[in-house]
Amino acid sequence: MRILTLILAGGKGERLYPLTRDRAKPAVPFGGIYRIIDFTLSNCLHSGMKEILILTQYRSFSLEKHIQLGWNILCNKLGEFIHVVSAQQRIDEMWYQGTADAVYQNLYMLQQFRPDLTLILSGDHLYKMNYKELIEFHLSLDADLTVATVPQRREMSRHFGVMEVDADQRVVSFQEKPLEPRCLPSDPDKILASMGIYVFNTRKMVRCLVEDAKSHTQHDFGRDIIPRMVQSEDKVYAYIFWDPETKSPRYWRDVGTLDSYWEAHMDLLGEPPVFDLNDPDWPILTHEPPAPPARVLEPSTGEDESPRIARSMISNGCILKARSLVNSVLSPNVRILEGAEVADSILLEGVTVGQGARLRRVIVDKRSVIPKGRAIGYDLAQDRRHFTVTDTGLVVIPTDSVLE
Amino acid sequence: MPTVLIVDDEENLRELYRTELTEDGYEVLTAANGKEAMELLQRRLPDAVVMDIRMPEMDGIEALGKMVARYKELPVVINTAYSRYQDDFRSWAAEAYVVKSSDLSELKKTLRKVIEKAGKGR
Repeated sequence: MRILTLILAGGKGERLYPLTRDRAKPAVPFGGIYRIIDFTLSNCLHSGMKEILILTQYRSFSLEKHIQLGWNILCNKLGEFIHVVSAQQRIDEMWYQGTADAVYQNLYMLQQFRPDLTLILSGDHLYKMNYKELIEFHLSLDADLTVATVPQRREMSRHFGVMEVDADQRVVSFQEKPLEPRCLPSDPDKILASMGIYVFNTRKMVRCLVEDAKSHTQHDFGRDIIPRMVQSEDKVYAYIFWDPETKSPRYWRDVGTLDSYWEAHMDLLGEPPVFDLNDPDWPILTHEPPAPPARVLEPSTGEDESPRIARSMISNGCILKARSLVNSVLSPNVRILEGAEVADSILLEGVTVGQGARLRRVIVDKRSVIPKGRAIGYDLAQDRRHFTVTDTGLVVIPTDSVLE
Repeated sequence: MPTVLIVDDEENLRELYRTELTEDGYEVLTAANGKEAMELLQRRLPDAVVMDIRMPEMDGIEALGKMVARYKELPVVINTAYSRYQDDFRSWAAEAYVVKSSDLSELKKTLRKVIEKAGKGR
């Protein structure tokens, strides 16, 4: 049984701007030392999926560099690989028109590998999932397509592709972002949301992709391919990503917006955390620059005052003289100078927070410098004049900003 | 009168197809390779294409991809001496696949079928 994994990493991630100003969404840093794609790639390796193509398109340099530095760990001699495949205009002179088109334009690759099954993943989701279970489910039902789904609250339906299933989990209808969703047979308050993760019998998939390429559609798996397959009574099943005993959904987040990106960070910080990265059975692998352990010092020289540090993640290479650091995630080599206060914030690699500066609900991208005494996140009207501020009042400062 | 574009690098075959298909009431256009075919399509869109795979300049697989991308409704019949391309995913975008034979009856039958089908689709 040959399985090829395709990780779709070609989206622009516009709603994550300015974090995606210079990098593809899967390359956006997450959780201090990781990039978002590390979660999907770690899942692949722990699930035994070791023939992987990452399909990129926009601003892929940062992603390619990360894969090269952090993921050069498979054994080519055993037939394992992670290849980054940038859009190559193999078919015609155009960019990928949609998720299905991204795969269609790589028929050449599929022809080279001739996999029995194709596992399609997204490079920008946060979760820990054993794809082996998904594959076994698919094979046990002799399905043409299995869509991984996760139960969500009914009122969230307008954010998701919603699958309606029968008692055998066969998909009987598909609705894209419906206001009036069809709910789970066992629970009328829950919907089954598509996770954008698919297992296809490759031959069936190619037939569908070719058919779709000849149609005037958006060339999207969710909008076009799945509904058409359900309609033509192909065997489409929904795998449910939940604890089979308790029926409670497992953790899965599509960090599509700045707010959801920030919230997913907060999920790392509670006790116990909503999303636990201290998992010896499922470590998340990454590339980290060499740096010594973090050092935490007194907030001001000559005084014997302890900083208040709580519910935070502090990566290697950080040097902290903060007065307080609460509910925050620091990437490597962050400097917080004397007496600064940081709360509910995400500081990416190499950020400096000047003396006495105060940050509240701020995302600061790489190497930016917050000057001495500056307060950000306290006067949103003022912040809006200089930075991206979300509807919930989250302030985002782009890479390499040196503020006045 | 339906129009068909024959794409084949062998001049003798192009002429044979032209004669036979003209007798059957088709208007026949010809191109010697994929590149010529793509150029011709910019000027004139036939009802169907019959195309070889192994050709110089631009082969049939590449031309098929471009035809599907640019002229979605245009049916393409792959017509090659080799049956093994039939299993190549990249040839699956073709409406039909006919292995070359001195007897053109299968090709003619297929051509009628795909033109009829495309007509219904419009």
